[in-house]
Amino acid sequence: MIKIKAKDVDVFYGKKQALFNISLDIEENQVTALIGPSGCGKSTFLRCLNRMNDVIDICSVKGEILINDFNINDKSCDVVRLREKIGMVFQKPNPFPKTLYENVSYGPTIHGMAQSKQEMDEIVETSLKKAALWEEVKDRLHEPGTGLSGGQQQRLCIARAISVRPEVILMDEPCSALDPIATAQIEELIDELKKEHTIIIVTHSMAQAARVSQNTGFFHLGQLIEHGSTDKIFKNPDNKKTQDYITGRFG
Amino acid sequence: MNKNKEQLLNKRYKAEQRFRLYGLSAIFMALLFLTIFIFKIFSTGYSAFQKTWLIVPVTFDAELMMLDQNPSKEDLQDADYYDIALKSMADLDPNANEDQENELKRMVSYFFEKEIKNELLNDPNLIGKTKEVYLTASDDLDQVFKGNYPRDLPEDQRRVSDYQLKIFDQLVTNGKVESKFNISFFTNADSREAELAGIASSFMGSIFSILVCLMIAFPVAVLAAIYLEEFAPKNRFTDFIEVNINNLAAVPSIVFGLLGLGVLLAIFHLPRSTPLVGGITLSLMTLPTIIIAARASLKAVPPSIREAALAMGASRMQTTMHHTVPLSMPGTLSGTIIGLAQALGETAPLILIGMVAFVNTIPGSPMDPAASLPVQIYIWAESAERGFVEKVSACIMVLLGFLIIMNLFAQIIRHKFEKKWS
Repeated sequence: MIKIKAKDVDVFYGKKQALFNISLDIEENQVTALIGPSGCGKSTFLRCLNRMNDVIDICSVKGEILINDFNINDKSCDVVRLREKIGMVFQKPNPFPKTLYENVSYGPTIHGMAQSKQEMDEIVETSLKKAALWEEVKDRLHEPGTGLSGGQQQRLCIARAISVRPEVILMDEPCSALDPIATAQIEELIDELKKEHTIIIVTHSMAQAARVSQNTGFFHLGQLIEHGSTDKIFKNPDNKKTQDYITGRFG
Repeated sequence: MNKNKEQLLNKRYKAEQRFRLYGLSAIFMALLFLTIFIFKIFSTGYSAFQKTWLIVPVTFDAELMMLDQNPSKEDLQDADYYDIALKSMADLDPNANEDQENELKRMVSYFFEKEIKNELLNDPNLIGKTKEVYLTASDDLDQVFKGNYPRDLPEDQRRVSDYQLKIFDQLVTNGKVESKFNISFFTNADSREAELAGIASSFMGSIFSILVCLMIAFPVAVLAAIYLEEFAPKNRFTDFIEVNINNLAAVPSIVFGLLGLGVLLAIFHLPRSTPLVGGITLSLMTLPTIIIAARASLKAVPPSIREAALAMGASRMQTTMHHTVPLSMPGTLSGTIIGLAQALGETAPLILIGMVAFVNTIPGSPMDPAASLPVQIYIWAESAERGFVEKVSACIMVLLGFLIIMNLFAQIIRHKFEKKWS
């Protein structure tokens, strides 16, 4: 089933065009990886999906992005409601400089998801469990989140993102600041999370894309060169450029 | 080639050593000046915290006070104390002629009559008895006792006569002169008489001014900074505002004083010489300082925190209020304290709005006339009497103490906030 449907998306930074005519379908409850060399526009595309580009004054987005058949670029779309449904994990772990508990409970609080302290405790616990962090931190929920290791911080950010039960989770190179062990933990986690969420991950590592994703899109110079199942892209790509990038001839 | 490299290495080491030396000598110079400054102020000012008292036997003669038998409280209030006061001073030298009696009277403050009255009001049973009463010595004798008075000048160049000195020395040998902690320096308002002048009025005036300044400048500045930094679009207009805020910070303070005079007093007819007007004027001056500090600390909050909050579905307002502003508070507060400290030491604008007036009452609200500490320093430094010299230094000490406490307070607040966030 198709969860997100992008149709002819163009993105401009001022006069400079960053994305050209991107059309891409994203399957529900699967992991879609976006790969490509630096500056190819894959992060820009990811940020279109929860309208984070709004923050950048000079950035303008054209085209349609349908999520559950609703165009999020439409004027009637409320970004707060949109971002409640579409969580995001960033490249560098960015927990709030607050306690672990406050980090995870922030989303549910502002969206009014818990009626009582008990309910909130439950949300925090399940979110941390889903993020495979609960066992490590359950005794220090009221210590600052910034005191954790890098990998733990990133899992805390994932716990924070899933605390509002989003339908889609966007991950912008979530492992690029982490060591191999922490990376492995996060990848395992992604595999688990796809049961309940649709995941789109931007990554520099082709090995990671091959490991975690079912579908892959290859971006180059602001264009989506090719997309399809990960198997096909890695084993038998249609496009010569994709072939060259996959085999490490450029990028 | 090798030799050349060695030379270069030596040169580099020497340059580093020289640089270190320059730095150390700069610090040494700064410390030296600071030490001289503080030493000068303390050595001149410490004696102002002591006050000299003459212990004079006073006979509470009911007849001289025009009191009946069993006088009531009101009678005691209304009684005539001048005669017994005069008599007790004259009695210090039984052989004094009329001129000398006058000189004897001038050995204590003009306030002495009231001091005697208070003594009796505290203990009405004293009527008909004699008691040794502490009377405030005149400012000149106070200086004589503290050793600050040039006794060896010819008599006609001194305000203290030989006769007064003779009697005073007798009192000293008899142990009838005492030096005690000068409470009245902190509880009295300004006075023309150095021995009675205190800083209560200017201290309260400073506190009220700073409070008014804080209450106006802080919210306005913080809101302006938040709007400019987080919400305003970046265009020519906001650029123009930014340039003007920076310019405003560089405007000489006396210009703000003129503004206060021309607008607050002349157009709005706010009460002259009051901390209210002073505080508003100072807040205009402090505003740009706080805005600049608040914007800088808002800018210093990493964008990743904003992105995290926005991506969680927080609105811009929630992002700002829940995350950015609390994180920027320590910086904003320290900027505020710096601005307030500046305002606390500001003299010129206050002089223009009339806070330089002689105020001998202690203000109870920002609407009452008052001086402020720096203006008090200025007023006293202008006064001719020797007694005011030490007061100037003492007042500077109080002002510096005030500033140190403020900074300490800022540090404590900062520490608390930072603990919470790290």
